Amino acid sequence: MNPLRALKIAGGGTASLFLLLLPFLLPLIDIHLATEILIFALFAVSFNLLLGYCGLLPFGHAACFGVGAYATALIFKHITGMPFLLTIMISALAGFAGALIIGFFCVRLSGGYFALISLAFQMFFYAVALKWRAVTSGDDGMSISRPDLYLPGLGSVSLMNIETLYYVTLAIVALAIVACYLFLKTPLGNAGISMRENVNRASFLGFNVFLTRLAIFCFSGFLAGISGALFVVHQEFVATSVMDVHMSFTVMLMATIGGTAHFLGPVLGAVFFIVFQDWISSLTKHWWLFMGIVFVLVVLYAEGGLIGLFKWEKISAWFASEKES
Amino acid sequence: MDIYAMQAIHGLVYGMLLFLVSSGLTLVFGMMGVLNLAHAAFYMLGAYFAYTITTHLGNFWLSLVLAPLIVGILGVGIEHFTLRKVHKSGHVAELLLTFGLFYVIGEVVRIIWGSNPLRVPVPALLAGQIPLLGKTYPIYRIFILGFSFLILIGMALLILRSRIGIIIRAAVSDADMVDVLGTNVPRVFMGVFGGGAALAALAGVIAAPFLSTYPGMGLDILLDCFVVIVVGGFGSLFGAFATSLMLGQLQSFGILWIPRLALVFQFLLMAVVLIVRPTGLFGEKQ
Amino acid sequence: MAILRLRDIDKDFSGLQVLSGVSMEIQEGERHAVIGPNGAGKSTLFNVITGLYKPSRGEITFLDRDITKSSIHKIARMGLSRSFQIINIFPKMTVFENIRIAVVSRFNRRFNWTSFLHRDRKILEESDRILSLIGMTDVRDVPAWEMSYGMQRQLELALTLARDPILILLDEPTAGLNAEETRNSVPLIKKVTEGKTLVIVEHDMEVVFNLADRITVLNYGEVLATGTPDEIRGSEEVKKAYLGRK
Repeated sequence: MNPLRALKIAGGGTASLFLLLLPFLLPLIDIHLATEILIFALFAVSFNLLLGYCGLLPFGHAACFGVGAYATALIFKHITGMPFLLTIMISALAGFAGALIIGFFCVRLSGGYFALISLAFQMFFYAVALKWRAVTSGDDGMSISRPDLYLPGLGSVSLMNIETLYYVTLAIVALAIVACYLFLKTPLGNAGISMRENVNRASFLGFNVFLTRLAIFCFSGFLAGISGALFVVHQEFVATSVMDVHMSFTVMLMATIGGTAHFLGPVLGAVFFIVFQDWISSLTKHWWLFMGIVFVLVVLYAEGGLIGLFKWEKISAWFASEKES
Repeated sequence: MDIYAMQAIHGLVYGMLLFLVSSGLTLVFGMMGVLNLAHAAFYMLGAYFAYTITTHLGNFWLSLVLAPLIVGILGVGIEHFTLRKVHKSGHVAELLLTFGLFYVIGEVVRIIWGSNPLRVPVPALLAGQIPLLGKTYPIYRIFILGFSFLILIGMALLILRSRIGIIIRAAVSDADMVDVLGTNVPRVFMGVFGGGAALAALAGVIAAPFLSTYPGMGLDILLDCFVVIVVGGFGSLFGAFATSLMLGQLQSFGILWIPRLALVFQFLLMAVVLIVRPTGLFGEKQ
Repeated sequence: MAILRLRDIDKDFSGLQVLSGVSMEIQEGERHAVIGPNGAGKSTLFNVITGLYKPSRGEITFLDRDITKSSIHKIARMGLSRSFQIINIFPKMTVFENIRIAVVSRFNRRFNWTSFLHRDRKILEESDRILSLIGMTDVRDVPAWEMSYGMQRQLELALTLARDPILILLDEPTAGLNAEETRNSVPLIKKVTEGKTLVIVEHDMEVVFNLADRITVLNYGEVLATGTPDEIRGSEEVKKAYLGRK
C-alpha cells in the first residue's frame, strides 16, 4: 500500500480513537473546550465550502449560524417536548432558508461584491435580532436549558452532563463533516469547484452558475445552521453576538489560519483558534488583537495556512524515494 | 416646512461626509480592483487622532493638518508593504488582508482609546448657532458643509484639470496601458491609496465633533460606504456623489418618518439595485 | 436545412458600432469559415451568437428556435458549443477532470448530489473516449496549466466537443501555434467535427481554404461577401478590402 495512504489511515484512526476516548483523557474544562472546537470545526468547514471550494468569500457567514442558533433557542423556549434531533434539523433548515434569501442576492456576484453583500445581510439580520426584542430579547439574550435526548433503546439521556453532550455533538458534527466531504465528490460539488477555476467556461459548458452556486450556498447555510444550533445548546444561552461581525470574523480567521486549500484545514484552524484563545486570554484581555495579527501574517506570508505547512507533496516524494532505496 | 428644510440640511451634511469617505474607496477600487476595507479604519483613525490632538494640544485646527498627514503616510506604508505583496495572490487574498487590517486597526484603537465614545469639542471659532430659516442652526455643521464642498471642488479640479488627475483617470480605465506608456504605475497607486487614506482621515477629523468618536464608527461608515458604491457604481465618482447625498437624505428623513425601518429601506434599495443593475446606477459594465 | 440563422444583427457598444446588418445562414453539415481583417467583428459575432452579448438589433435562430435573448448556458445546452481564441480551460484541474466536467453537463447531471462522480461509469468512459479521440490519453492526469501551449489548445478543442454539440464554433483554433502545429490541427479538426456543423473564425488562409465549404467575409462589422472558396478568391471586392495572407 502507498505509504502516504497508510500514514493517513493511521493518523485518522488515531484521531478517531482520541476523539472517542476524550472525556476519559481530559479534565472537565477541556471537554467543554473540545465541544466548542467541534462546533466551530463544522462552522469553519461550512465556510470553507464556499471559500476554498467555490472561490466565494462570505464576510457575513455568521448570519446562517445565527439563524440556526436563534431557531434552536426559540424552539426550546416556546415548544416543550420537541425532540432534540428534530430541533437541530429545523435549525439546519432555518440556516438553509437564510442562505436561500441571502444567496439569491449575493450569488449573482463574486469577489468583493459577494463578500460585502453577505456582510450587509448579516448586519441586517443582526439589526433585526437586536431590535426585535419581543422575540429575541435583543442583546440581553435568552437563557435556555438543555433538553433531554431520547434515543430508541436507551431511553432518555440528559444533555446537562457535558460528557453526554460531547458525544452527541461529536456524532452530529462528524456526520455533517463527512456529508460535506462526500458532497464535494458529487457532480454538483465538482461543478462548484470548476466554477472557482473558470466560471466563464463553466457557463459556456451549459452550467447555470447562479443556481449551482445558490445550491451550494444553501448547503453551506444548512451546515452553519447545525453548528449554530449546537452552539446554543452548549452555551445554554443565545444573544445577538451569534450573528455579529466578531462571529463572522472568527470563522474567517479559523478557516484562513487553518488553510483553505485542504478539506481539514478549517478543522485545524478551529482547534488552533480555540486553544490559542484559551491560552492568550488568560494572559491579556486584548487577545483579539493577537488573533488579528496572526491572521494578517498568515494572509501575507503563509497562504496555505497551518495545514499548508505540512508539505504533503514533499512527504509523499520522500516516501516514494525511501521506497525505492 | 422648516422641519423638512432642517432635515434636508442634516442629510446634506452627512451625505457630504459620506462622499468624502466613499470617494477614496471607489477610486481605489476602480483603479486597483481592490475593495479596501481598511479605508473605514483610516476614517476612524482620523477621528481618534483629532480627539487626542485636540485634547492634548488644545488645537482642533492642528488635527486638521496632522491627522490626514499621519494617516496618509500610514496608508502609503500599508499599500507598499502589504497590499502589493498580496496583489498577485488574487482578489480573495486582498479582501482578506484589508478586512484583517480593518479589524486589527479597530482593535488597536480600542486598546489605546478604550471602548467608550469620546467627545471631541467643537473648536471655539465654530461653536454656537446662527439663525437659519427662522430657527438656529449649529455653525459647525455649516462649516462641515462648506469645507466638504471646498474639498470636493479641489478634488474635481485635481482630477479633471491637472496632469496627475489625467493619469489617475487613465489608470482607472486601464492600468496596464498607462504602465506601458511609461508612467510609474506603482507610484500612482501608492499615491492614490495614500491620498484616499488622508482624505478619509480628514473626513474623520471633521466628523468627530459632529458624530462623536466611538470604536464602531468604522464599521458604521463602511456599511454606508458600501451601499454608496453598490448603488452608485464601483469606480464611479459621480455615482458616489449622487448616492451619498441621496443616502444622507434617506437616513435623515428615514429617521424622522420611519425610525425602525430606515435600515430596512436602505437594504431594500441595495437589493433592488443588485438585481436590476448589478454594476450600480452609474458604474461601468464589468 | 439551415440550422443557424442570423438576421440583420447589429451590435454597438456605447456608440461604437461593431456589427451592422449581419445576416448569415449556416446549413446543416457544412463547414463555414468567417474571415476578415482584425477588428472586423468576428469574435464579437461569436459572442453575440453564444449569448455573451445581446444584439442591439436583429434575430438569431438556432434549430428554428429564437436564441436572440437566451442565456449562455441555455444556448450551450441546446447543442451550440464554442471554443475560445484565448485559451479558456480549467487550469488547476487535470486534463481528464476538465473533460469530465463538460461531460457531466452533457449528461445533465449538473445538480446531482447523490452519486459520486469518480464512480460514475458512464461519465468516466465517455471522458476517456473523448480523451482518446483528441489524442491526449497520455497526459490524462496532468494539471492543465502545466502543459505546453499546443496541448492546451487541444484541450480547448476537446472541451468544445465534449458536449457532443450539433453546431461547433471555433474561434481562431490555431492562434499562437507554429506552422507545423497549425498544419497538424487541420486533420484533427476535420476528424472531430465529422458529421457536425462547423463555423470557424480563422486568419490562416491555408487552414481556411483547406477546411471550408463556404466562406463569409466580414469587414468593419458588415458582411462583405459570402460564397465558396473559389468565389471568394476571385472576388474583387474582397481583394480590395482585405489583402489575404497566404
